Amino acid sequence: MSAPRSRVALVSFVVATIAVLAVFPKFAEPYYVTLVLPAFAYAIALLGFNLLFGTAGLLSFGHALFVAIGAYAAAVLTSKLGVRSFEAIVAIAGIVSVIAAIPVAMLAVRYVRIFFGILTLAFGMLFHSFLFKFYNLTGGDTGIRVLRPTLLGQDWKELDKTAFLIGPFYYACLVLALVLGLAMWRIVHSPFGLHLAAIRENSRKAEYLGVRVRTFRLIAFLISAFYGAIGGAILAVNTGQADPELAYWTHSGELVFMTVLGGFANFFGPLVGAFAFIFLKSELMGATQYWRFFLGATLAVIVIAFPRGLMGLASDAWKKATRR
Amino acid sequence: MSALIETVGVTKAYGDFVALDGVTLSVADGETVAIVGPNGAGKTTLVNVLTGLLKPNEGVVRFKGEDIAGIGPVKLAQRGMARAFQLVHIFPALTVAETIAVAVVSQAGRSLSLFGSLRRDAALWTKVRDVAAIFGLDTKLDAEARLLSQGEKKLLDIASAFALVPEVILLDEPTSGVSSGDKHGIMKTLVDAARRAGVKAIILVEHDMDLVAEYSTRIVALQGGKVLADRVPGEFFSDPELIASVIGKRVDKFAAREGAR
Amino acid sequence: MRAAVALVAFFDVLIGGVFHASVLFLVAAGLQLVFGVQRIVNLACGSFYALGAYFGITAVNWTAAHGAPGWSFLPVLIASGIVLGAIGPFIERLLRTVYRRDEAFQLLLTFALVLMFQDVLRFFWGANPQQLGNLSMSYGKVTLGEFSFPTYNVLVMAASLAIAVSLGLFLKRTRYGRILRATAENREMAEALGADVKKIYAGVFTLGTILGTVGGALVVPTAAASLDMPVELVVEAFAVVVIGGLGSMRGALAGALVVGLTRALAITFYAELEVLAIYVIVIAVLVARPAGLFGKPVE
Repeated sequence: MSAPRSRVALVSFVVATIAVLAVFPKFAEPYYVTLVLPAFAYAIALLGFNLLFGTAGLLSFGHALFVAIGAYAAAVLTSKLGVRSFEAIVAIAGIVSVIAAIPVAMLAVRYVRIFFGILTLAFGMLFHSFLFKFYNLTGGDTGIRVLRPTLLGQDWKELDKTAFLIGPFYYACLVLALVLGLAMWRIVHSPFGLHLAAIRENSRKAEYLGVRVRTFRLIAFLISAFYGAIGGAILAVNTGQADPELAYWTHSGELVFMTVLGGFANFFGPLVGAFAFIFLKSELMGATQYWRFFLGATLAVIVIAFPRGLMGLASDAWKKATRR
Repeated sequence: MSALIETVGVTKAYGDFVALDGVTLSVADGETVAIVGPNGAGKTTLVNVLTGLLKPNEGVVRFKGEDIAGIGPVKLAQRGMARAFQLVHIFPALTVAETIAVAVVSQAGRSLSLFGSLRRDAALWTKVRDVAAIFGLDTKLDAEARLLSQGEKKLLDIASAFALVPEVILLDEPTSGVSSGDKHGIMKTLVDAARRAGVKAIILVEHDMDLVAEYSTRIVALQGGKVLADRVPGEFFSDPELIASVIGKRVDKFAAREGAR
Repeated sequence: MRAAVALVAFFDVLIGGVFHASVLFLVAAGLQLVFGVQRIVNLACGSFYALGAYFGITAVNWTAAHGAPGWSFLPVLIASGIVLGAIGPFIERLLRTVYRRDEAFQLLLTFALVLMFQDVLRFFWGANPQQLGNLSMSYGKVTLGEFSFPTYNVLVMAASLAIAVSLGLFLKRTRYGRILRATAENREMAEALGADVKKIYAGVFTLGTILGTVGGALVVPTAAASLDMPVELVVEAFAVVVIGGLGSMRGALAGALVVGLTRALAITFYAELEVLAIYVIVIAVLVARPAGLFGKPVE
């Protein structure tokens, strides 16, 4: 439980970060601003992922399934169904994902630990092969185009693609991230969140205290699917394309990587992890053609030496600083 | 007096091995019933049947008049029976306060509150503090459960069961692993807490005959899956043969003590 | 007449399926061994497979350039796979740092290895797929009436079966095998009884690695080695162990046959369903029998 001083520090830090993000496009190079967009997308997707992992203790190796659903929902809505409102796209992508998640969740919550991981991996790959093979429906390995959505009813026609992305779209995503972040904060710190934590710590004991373990895991799974899809929709609008590789199991692996990089035991861990990963990957790709090796090495180092991730390091540093 | 919880002719067999054979017992409001017997007598099986974990092959098990065969721990807790285990079960990373809160929230039916604030729920934390105080844990509310001493973990385990405000609580060797000096203290705390919390009946599985003599209102002795005796402590302890079958050796000191009462 | 042609074609595909199953079995057996004894799910199993494939090609080309006879490529492939097992102890040493931790971290560390291996393969062999040409035909064909298939395939299937049988005998009949199974059941007990668990873990992991690398080596005469191999194989290998049951050797055999034959049948009848069919079966198995065909019940 946080002492009042930590609380003030935390709130100040969050407000400062939001302020920096808000003015970022004004002073930073467009290249870096375009990097922040996938960071927003992944931050949202990871908030959902970490409800399952950090809070409920379930490691899904198929979260990319929902990211892909969101991306393809955005693509189908804009390219094939003529729905261009970003607000509608986000909402529909989320709802479609939750509906798709219901059968997956009902099956998956019967298992724990490695079996849960393998089952979710299987579902992710099932969707991937569907996307890849059924060319007529899904565009096969090229995927489906995502057309530029309207924001608040406006189409911002006067702006070119980049200007749109680093302008109105950036702010739309920032607001979306804030709203969803706040909602997730409430969920994690609610009675429901407490029960998820209890399930993580000792599911048998939780049962004896009247906690309906499977039902709660299912609800957490559905919420994570909602968040994953919204992240996917943002990614798709950003790249202009929904492609099947979004559903591949290694993409799910990267989601786990990001979360652990930032720190899975901390609410802000996944958010920090998303940003850190995007920037790390971008810098590595620019520096060497063997960037995968160094990315993998980074993950190995974190898993072995810094399992609580960046937020773990930050919280240790804070504790040291405030002890004096 | 109608029974709060009862079994009638319960038999449970695993293939050829008969764990329980026609066990009939009932526990009424206000009683503290101790279940005793040597290892392998069927105590654990009986407890599992009483708490809805196992379905008997024959016979019925009822709680407040309703059949509870095999209903499972979650429904059991919802109906008003709590169970604390021999081996300590905790939520390692949750604090004492959070652990008790899990039970309080569950009992209040607020588990599905997705956006309600925990922190600002003053009524919740007051209740948590009250329960913790009964068990002497109110000074350790913010301590993580894994950092507590073994005895404190035990108390926390039982405290969280109490926080469910159960009508019946089943304590499975509540003082096992506790040093002899502390045993009476803990039993006294438990029984007093139960009375204060409004628990109507306690079922106790215990090996320590001193505690059984001191705190139970009735003793049910099991042997080989059958009920050997179902007596009040006075009668029970004036029968050395009976005591011998339960603990495996003749002891006359109980008879002497009962005489002294 | 049409039926006969169809039958032959079907049989060809069937043999292809069993061949694929033979190779999959080797990788899955490695996975099962490592999971059974060390409780680690090795996502890098596909990376070992790919390494075996690439290295096998290099080995065959090298021996051929140094005057080795045409027929020697099969033994060379097997030998190169075994030699690669040398990396096993080093990787195991790395994984040992997270043994006591949550499964999630062990899984993640193997994922880190997958990422790193991608570029190791790229570094040594480049981004283009490599192959051995039509070497698989060097051993000629086996003809049974209407049907004929490459001898190479038969040899590989036989080798795989032989390995399966030897592994089974090894685990059930030899002293070391019994110690392995004891350690799998209960590590603390085994330690208390004097088993050198560290050595056992290193040995088991190395054996698992070799099974993977040999599997990859054996496949190269019939398929190209590519950088996609590591990540693609993982999915099939996992399908095998899920269907067969985690930790079970018989499960690896059964699961491999199911996956290999399903793929073959799917390719014949409805190509788009190829991989989809496998996942559908995986999910169906998990619904009907969560422990897989031969695994122990879960939760």
